[in-house]
Amino acid sequence: MVKEFKVNIDEKISSVKFFVDEEFQHLKIKDQRVCNQCKAKFCLNFCPAGVYRLDHQNKILINYQACLECGSCRIGCPSKNIDWSYPRGGFGVNYKFG
Amino acid sequence: MPLEKKGQPMGKYKYDVVIVGGGPAGLSAGIKLVEKGFKTLLIERGRFCGAKNLFGGIIYTSSIKEIVPEFPEVDNFPAERPVTEEGYFFISKDGVVKILHTKRDPKESYTALRAKFDAFLSDYAIKKGLDIAVKTRVLDLIWEANKVCGVIVDRPTSLEDKTPASIEAKVVVLAEGVNRVLTERAGLVDRTVEPSEVVLAVKEVLQLPKGEMEARLGLGENRGLAIELMGEVTLGLPGTGFLYTNKNTLSFGVGIFLNKLMDLNLKPYEILERAKALSYLRELFNGAETLEYGAHLIPEWGIKAFPKLFGNGVLVVGDAAGLVNPLFREGTNLAIYSGLMASEAIKFAFEKGDFTEKALKRYEELFKESYIYKDMLMIKDLKAILLSNSQLFQVYPELMYQICHLYFSAQGRAKRDVIREILAIIRRKRGLLGLVRDFLKLGRILW
Repeated sequence: MVKEFKVNIDEKISSVKFFVDEEFQHLKIKDQRVCNQCKAKFCLNFCPAGVYRLDHQNKILINYQACLECGSCRIGCPSKNIDWSYPRGGFGVNYKFG
Repeated sequence: MPLEKKGQPMGKYKYDVVIVGGGPAGLSAGIKLVEKGFKTLLIERGRFCGAKNLFGGIIYTSSIKEIVPEFPEVDNFPAERPVTEEGYFFISKDGVVKILHTKRDPKESYTALRAKFDAFLSDYAIKKGLDIAVKTRVLDLIWEANKVCGVIVDRPTSLEDKTPASIEAKVVVLAEGVNRVLTERAGLVDRTVEPSEVVLAVKEVLQLPKGEMEARLGLGENRGLAIELMGEVTLGLPGTGFLYTNKNTLSFGVGIFLNKLMDLNLKPYEILERAKALSYLRELFNGAETLEYGAHLIPEWGIKAFPKLFGNGVLVVGDAAGLVNPLFREGTNLAIYSGLMASEAIKFAFEKGDFTEKALKRYEELFKESYIYKDMLMIKDLKAILLSNSQLFQVYPELMYQICHLYFSAQGRAKRDVIREILAIIRRKRGLLGLVRDFLKLGRILW
């Protein structure tokens, strides 16, 4: 129904200011095996920041540094396989406009 | 007293009330509580209040006046433009049908950007005497004898003791936003939120060459536009687009129910870019620079999935409760009113000397006396109707365009033929019975 329409999400994310916490990854996969067995892999598409990606072995990678902290993956992962929290105080997205 | 420094110990603090979250709900509760004389601390995880917040968006003067009576006559005016034109654009592949209303009183509502607006409210609150601890995240609630009596934060207790600090409070107000994690921990909801209960909105703040925004939208100085977009802008999916004019920028975005995005495996930012490429919008955005992209969830679970609004030592306000009215674009104003009601209930609890749910039930009573409760009841079936009647978003914008097109362009033939053709289009697209049924369905909500 919907034709391919490529958008470079990294370019969009580059317009956003972040204070990246190098010491604490606030999004983690609880059990990689659950992801491996997940056929739908909804997170690859619905995440508005493109945080979830596949590596060349089809393993899910989390680019938590670009997270906009919306919470879609907390609600949208059908297996509730994401250990979700906000970044530590003062870190993460820092909107200039909002 | 803003508690700014990261790593500064927080162990020694003891408050009447602790508020979690520095959006409009938390800040209005905070302002009212300090006005009533309660020692109150607001905890915000961002570097300033507003840093994490994003909306369409519009703010409503009547609600802001409740906390800032002098608004809009304030220094460092925190909003963008008065909303003088508002309405709906029904967007089809071929063109647009616009319904625009020009307002008599432009001071009723303003377009705004949250990083600025929330920061203004927080400055105002600090002047009133509210303590605000920024860059601080609440990790958990403290319980004592089945009552919430404080919070644990991600700051050390003291220079020697690095364990997370505890802050005691008689009442904790949860203004944590749409991701109602602490509300769940407080035992006020019995399940997590479903994808069909939230709208994922993505938004851009766009800048046109100087003077172009006003020229393209026909706006004078100090006049502003607030438009909801329906139809092709969301690919006909249940949801809406929005277009608001700020002082020198445009806010544009689309919001779609998360379950619909998942059903079709769509990327929200691709829908956004598709929308920007639709003929009318492409011309509007030609040459625009994206100053900022962002995303946020809108809590549309409705009153049927509300958390319990009060517990022993705890209240829930704003988005965390689900206080939005998507049909009438209300959100920040409802957040503010809930903050006011929470502060009233807390005052009542202090008078009684009782911080259990017996006294804090006052908050729910106030809520049920308010217009917000009536409205939330009115729209209780809206989400289900929208999700199961996607023709509303797909068929009607197209239908409207085709009808208008015929009506406004058919010259040189008998008008009875034109009307017959219009009726034939309606029959083909939806059927007359379908049309009546759709009106009845929506009508049942509204009256």
